[in-house]
Parts: sequence; C-alpha cells; structure tokens
Amino acid sequence: MKNILVVDDDEAIRILLQEELTDEGYNVLTATNARDALKMVETEPLDLVILDIRMPGMDGLEALPRILGLKEGLPVILNTAYSQYQESFMSWAADAYVVKSSDLTELKDKVKELVER
Amino acid sequence: MAGVKKLTTIIMAGGKGERLFPLTRDKAKPAITFGGIYRIIDFTLSNCVNSGLRRIYVLSQYGSFSLDLHLKLAWDIMHPDLGEFIYSIPPQQIHTSRWYRGTADCIYQNLNLLEQERPSHVLILSGDHVYQLDYNEMLDFHLSRDSDMTVAAVMVPRVEGSSFGIIKVNQAATVEDFLEKPADPPGLPDNPDFSLVSMGVYIFRAEVLVEEIIKDAKKKASSHDFGKDIIPQMVGRKKVFAFNFQDAGGRPRYWRDIGLLDAYFKAHQDLLGSEPAFELFDPAWPMRNRPLVLPPSKYVAAGSPVSVEDALIASGCLIEGTVRRSVLSPGVKVGPGAQVDECILWDNVEVGAGARLRRVIIEDGVKVPPGFNIGHNRRADAQRFTLTENGVVVVPNNVRLEE
Repeated sequence: MKNILVVDDDEAIRILLQEELTDEGYNVLTATNARDALKMVETEPLDLVILDIRMPGMDGLEALPRILGLKEGLPVILNTAYSQYQESFMSWAADAYVVKSSDLTELKDKVKELVER
Repeated sequence: MAGVKKLTTIIMAGGKGERLFPLTRDKAKPAITFGGIYRIIDFTLSNCVNSGLRRIYVLSQYGSFSLDLHLKLAWDIMHPDLGEFIYSIPPQQIHTSRWYRGTADCIYQNLNLLEQERPSHVLILSGDHVYQLDYNEMLDFHLSRDSDMTVAAVMVPRVEGSSFGIIKVNQAATVEDFLEKPADPPGLPDNPDFSLVSMGVYIFRAEVLVEEIIKDAKKKASSHDFGKDIIPQMVGRKKVFAFNFQDAGGRPRYWRDIGLLDAYFKAHQDLLGSEPAFELFDPAWPMRNRPLVLPPSKYVAAGSPVSVEDALIASGCLIEGTVRRSVLSPGVKVGPGAQVDECILWDNVEVGAGARLRRVIIEDGVKVPPGFNIGHNRRADAQRFTLTENGVVVVPNNVRLEE
C-alpha cells in the first residue's frame, strides 16, 4: 500500500483528504504543520506528500526544498487555495500544483499519476 | 544594453582546482595569483564591471575565505544602496545539508536568490577563465535570437578538437549537438577547419534556467553540471544558440581555462612580448586588481649587469640580476648575478645572488638561497617539487629551501 502524507493546518481538509484517499486505497498520514511533516519525511516510508502552502510557522514553499533535500525524488503536490504561488520559482520544484476545490478529481488524478510513476 | 537591468550575474567560484595543486592547496582556484598583480577572478569581474554589470553573486565553496578576503580587499567598490553588489555566497545549507554537488546544483541551492531578484535573464560565468569579453555583445546576440540559452564558444582547429567538449552548430548558430571529446569533431558550417569549444559562459532566459535546474535536480543519475547535464538535456528541446567568440576578421579571440599547471604557465607566457596573445595594456578594458601602496620597482646595477627582457614586473621589486620572459608579483627581489628565466614569482619571493631559476612557479614569500638552482636538473627537481608534464617546476611556500 502506498503511503501519502497530507500536510495542512486546516483540520477539515486533513479529514477530508484522509477519508477520500483512504477510500482510494492509500495509507494516509497527516501533519498539522511543516515542522512535524519534515520529521515524518525523515522517519516514515512515504511515496507522496500533499503540501499546503499557507501554514503558520513554516510555509509550504519553505518546506518544499527541505523535503526534497531530505528525500530526493519524493513526489510533492502543492495543494493550496491560492493560484498566485504558481509564479514563485520555489513552487516549480513541486511535481504538481493543485488549487483546492470541492471537486477532488484533479488532486486524485495527480496522486495516482505520481505514486505510480 | 537592452535588458541589462533585468540581468543577474552569477560567477561559479567553488571548484577545488585539484589539477592546480599545490597552488590551490589552501585557496580557491579563482583566488590564486595570476599575471603578477591579479587573482584569476579579476578577469571575469573586470569583464562584468567593464560591461556595466553591477549585480553579481559569486558562488564560493572550497577555500572560500581566500576568495572572500580578495573580494573585500580588491572589489569592495559597489554601493548596495544603489542596487549594485558583489556578494560571495558559500553553500548556505538552508534547504539541504549538502555541499554543492556540481555547477547546476549551485544554482538549485540558490533558487531563492533568483526568486528575490526575478531577473529576465541570468548570465552564468566561471571564476577561473582569462579573457576579455563585453557581455553586452553576447546579450545582444541572445536577445536578437530570442534564445532560451546562449553558450559562448571559441574556435579551435578541428584536428585539436578531440580533447574538448565540442558544440555542433548549424548555419544559424543553433546548437544541434554537444559532443564530449569526439574522435571526429564536426567543423563549423562556414569554417570547416575549426570546431567550437564551450567556454562555460552562458546566458539563460531565467524561467528556462529554473525549469531546467529543477528538472536536473530530480535526476538521480545526473552529475548536476551545466556542461555535462543541463546543456545536453536542452539541445533539440529548447532554443539553444552558440555565440562565437571571434574577432572582426573571423579569428578566435583569446580565452583560456586555467585548469592545469601547464595552462597556468602557458597563459603567463601569453602575456609577454611586444605583441602578446593576451594584452593587459588596453585602456578601453582595464583589468582591476587589489590596490597596493608600494614604491616603484628598482633596478640596481651594483657591479654586475642588470637585464630585463620580455617581462612583467610589479611595483616594489628590486632587480639586481637577469630576468627574462617572466612575471614578477609585487615585492620580488632578484639578487646580483641571479638568473630568472621563464618564471612566475609571486609576492615577496627573494632570489638570492647567483641563483638560477628556469621555468619555475614560486609561491609568495619563498626565499631561494644564493647560488641555488631550480629547473636545470629534472630528476633533482622531481624529487623535491611538483614537476609538470611540460617540465615546469612548482615551489610551494610550505617548504624551506636549504643551501
């Protein structure tokens, strides 16, 4: 079973993604902030990270290169309510950029594509 | 100069320079003495300043203090409050705990700089090359072709091309292939006896650079090098052009990579003579260096003849012997009857009376005892010093020469 880490400070999003992705057959771990996420990247055998951008403490764009520094080649999807971060060079290091929506089709498609790559 | 304000310059200066050992044993290669009064990086930095480029990042790593010190002493000329700077940046280890793995990884680890700067184009240079180039010529070429990446290249005779990385271009200067040390190097379409060699000088459209660097960073098999990985992966997919570094008569202009001791020696010989291969005496293209407060050099005939031929002599030297086809840094002393032939003597070297030196590079502060010979007995030299393939002897300053 593939392991996915969902990093989001919004509890509703964490619960939603955990339920939906568990239904898709993935094992889902969650982190409420980037610092905890970095610890889990180091210790857990992960296949994918879904990373929010606007979080208190360390934001997703700051966490992204650190995640890649810890686990080279680990796929990361930036999942944010805002589209403007797509212009940031730092966001280009992610494998996908998905704007949050009530329709999870795009996110699920990207997850499938990246874990099977 | 269209677009210069949107151009960020990055100089790669972190290599270990192992093939220049022992000169690089305690310094960065770009920080080693060259041409008597310069450090190698002064040529690239002078090119930048003479081209009007004043926003410069120097990416350092190995021996970074020697480079920082030189930048402070010689290049503390920018006014950051006017938006101009020369910043030296060692691996910051913010995102990762590793050193720079290659030239491309230098950029990847500093993507935040490009994010802050948001340039349109990025000029990538090397800190260990000797040449004179107005980067605006290359930038105009790059912009006029709407190029994604332009690599500067210099012509070498096709028969010598097998020992270089060769760029195959078409009539429009589009890069069609990159060949590492090809057995049968391709000639230029309009000059089949010559092949193009990459100078390691690049201008990228900034977005393309970021995309390609990130793509490369994710490749496990990559050596994260511009020449080996980034450029080859772009050829055929992106608009890649070669800027031929030639004069108005279609002849290759002077460019040297100071990678080997013999190349270091040969490049010094290129500075000498009435018509040197590389001319330092060009008022239109001044080469900056570290300002020193020193008296004029003195030539003193105290009984024995003093002779200086085809030489570059810095300030503060005292010459009482014979100097021929040599380059002397500040404060060098050549005693009565001493012979210095085809030598490179760094700061404050003292050559004792009657000593004979031939094809020797001597680091700063070394005292050669009176009557001492170096460069006249290959076997004896090889036992004591580094001896190059071409018979150049290197005397580092961590040895004591005994009479």
